[in-house]
Amino acid sequence: MTKFEFLEGLRKGMSGLPQEDIEEQVAFYGEMIDDRVEDGIAEEEAVAQVGTVDEILTQIVSEIPLSKLVKEKVIPKRRLRAWEIILLALGSPIWLSLLIAVFAVLLSAYAVIWSLLVSLWAVEVSLWSCVLGGIISGTALIFCGYISTGFVTIAAGFICAGFSVFLFWGCKAATKGTLLLTKGMAIGIKNCFIKKEAA
Amino acid sequence: MDNQLKRGLLDVCVLAAIRSEETYGYKIIKDMKPYIEMSESTLYTILKRLETAEMLTVRTAEHCGRLRKYYCITGNGLNRITEFKNEWQEILAIYRFVTKEDDTND
Repeated sequence: MTKFEFLEGLRKGMSGLPQEDIEEQVAFYGEMIDDRVEDGIAEEEAVAQVGTVDEILTQIVSEIPLSKLVKEKVIPKRRLRAWEIILLALGSPIWLSLLIAVFAVLLSAYAVIWSLLVSLWAVEVSLWSCVLGGIISGTALIFCGYISTGFVTIAAGFICAGFSVFLFWGCKAATKGTLLLTKGMAIGIKNCFIKKEAA
Repeated sequence: MDNQLKRGLLDVCVLAAIRSEETYGYKIIKDMKPYIEMSESTLYTILKRLETAEMLTVRTAEHCGRLRKYYCITGNGLNRITEFKNEWQEILAIYRFVTKEDDTND
């Protein structure tokens, strides 16, 4: 790949980003290639050393805040024509309500995931309370003379302890999975704003 | 390596690479190569972060008929290196404590 092809690929891939950022990045990578060529490396080899367009775009997407991407996308590239504004205003009862509905569904699906996680941790906490309660009340019962009931209560406490240890690993894995899902979703949303045409 | 730790280390590495003289992107990568491999995209992110934190300044100058960016360390950048050296003593102490048992076993 030549320097020109590489930089054009990069430019196309970043087409959802602010123009200023695109120019800055393209200048940076162009300079990196030029310096390598000046160092005696062949142009194609210099381009290969800098990395692939996809790798660079992935890093750019993960570093840029979502708010910046949204801001850039929301501002129209050209002024809207009068008929477009009228059409948007007339159609707003349909497209706006649909948009809100889609957003609400997605948000509720995400909230369900987190509420499941919260309930898992709540069960974990309640199991530990049962452990504590079982041991304390069991001991109290033994001292009051209800020996067999006391032992059964303590045993129930220990059974709860066993369950809670198992559940703890489950809760931990679920939390980790949810956090990874959130990260994946954030990158996915960001990717919607950047056209990866270079791929 | 832990991402947060690596990020902090790489920031200081780049600051160290520009500590003695004003320098440019490719030279930073070349100077660091014997110690640490760094991709261009990583360097770009670090340079932007350090610039925002006012640890370095950037100027564009002409070189052989084209433009090249030069990076110069600031007082904040030098302070960060000093801070890192002090922090490193603490990390070394923790490292010695962690590996103490391994050494006795060896």
